Amino acid sequence: MGVLPPFRLLRPTTVSEALGWVNDDRMAYAGGTELLLAMKEGLLRPTHLVDLKGIDSLRQVRCAGREVAIGALVTHTRAADHPIVRDRLPDLGEVLNRVGNPRVRATGTLAGNLCFAEPRSDVATALVALGGEVEIASTFGCRRMAVEDFVVGPYSTALATEELVTHIFVPVRADLRFVYLKHQTTERPTLGVALAANGHVSLVVGAVGFAPQVFRWDSLSDLDPSEIAGQVEVVPDLTGSEEYKRHLVEVYLRRAMVGLDGRS
Amino acid sequence: MIGADIMEISPEINGRQAVLTVPVRMTLAEMLRDRLGLYGVKLSCEMQVCGVCTVLVGGQPVSSCTFLAVDTDGRRVLTVEGLADGGRLHPIQQAFVDRFALQCGFCTPGFIMMTKHLLERSSQPDREQIVAHFDGNLCRCTGYAPIIEAVQDAAGKLGEVGS
Repeated sequence: MGVLPPFRLLRPTTVSEALGWVNDDRMAYAGGTELLLAMKEGLLRPTHLVDLKGIDSLRQVRCAGREVAIGALVTHTRAADHPIVRDRLPDLGEVLNRVGNPRVRATGTLAGNLCFAEPRSDVATALVALGGEVEIASTFGCRRMAVEDFVVGPYSTALATEELVTHIFVPVRADLRFVYLKHQTTERPTLGVALAANGHVSLVVGAVGFAPQVFRWDSLSDLDPSEIAGQVEVVPDLTGSEEYKRHLVEVYLRRAMVGLDGRS
Repeated sequence: MIGADIMEISPEINGRQAVLTVPVRMTLAEMLRDRLGLYGVKLSCEMQVCGVCTVLVGGQPVSSCTFLAVDTDGRRVLTVEGLADGGRLHPIQQAFVDRFALQCGFCTPGFIMMTKHLLERSSQPDREQIVAHFDGNLCRCTGYAPIIEAVQDAAGKLGEVGS
């Protein structure tokens, strides 16, 4: 049986208490759906887990002007079921309802999903296309950063070891047209394509490369699926060769463009 | 050294209040099987993919192989052993028997607990919803068709009881 290596548990009740503890060896812990797996595999060996689940201020989903703020402890299921997300961010809710499986969604948090930076994350791809930002706290204060800049590579983010993601902010855009399509035959997607349009067009191609890849145009007619399929960075693996994945990108881009037209 | 490596917790397990002292590194599956003898909780992939270790915590399905036992403190845990009413099977269990929805039976407790969660959220799910809900449950005897029929059967019976 995969046994967890020894560690000690810290249970802060405020963000500032947690910030006093987190560092390279004392890792932030909430859902644990990725972290505990990596620990079982011996890939991470923290001396402590800093369990954030006792910090009530990070549990909420709320409206903040023209944005929705999603606390770092909000799970995929809670976000998708939340009336504010259903009402103002239905596109995001649809993506969240198809992440992983129901157990992963019920336990794992959106913030944890972003912080782990698994290259095949549906959430990162979708949030980049939706213009999402993360709020990052440290003992010096707070800063905000686009999700696009936050996820820098596979399992790698712009988060410093003594910082915490406290909220995710997603802009509410009533005139936004959005499509997210994915191709998935195992537990993680082989390809995720997010296409968003409101005036400008943003395309984010996820899962096939090391990180979400972003393309922008003034109009949808500028998007050439075969050109993008040739340009994107593709990592071949057990779910497909480079040639196969480039083919998938082109097919899914065409489908996404048709889907977006249907959403006018 | 700061932090705890052992904790006392008091979860409610299958309707009974428990008090347990457990290492913080202990998974929920280890606690349920090794401390409490609840062997209906199976272990297979141990990476949240196969679903055989599914139990409900606070009504939500979790993979007990990758969930810390200490996180059940003060919460309700339901395993397949908690479903039957004395000698009478729960309608979901009975539907699995009636529809021959198992061969080797190893995946069955996981499918049954996932069904319990599904029917609490949506009392009459359609086929597409059932299939999507089982995204993370594998049956290597590949008997999916009777499993889906059993869920529809159970939904019908529970609907009659409820009406």
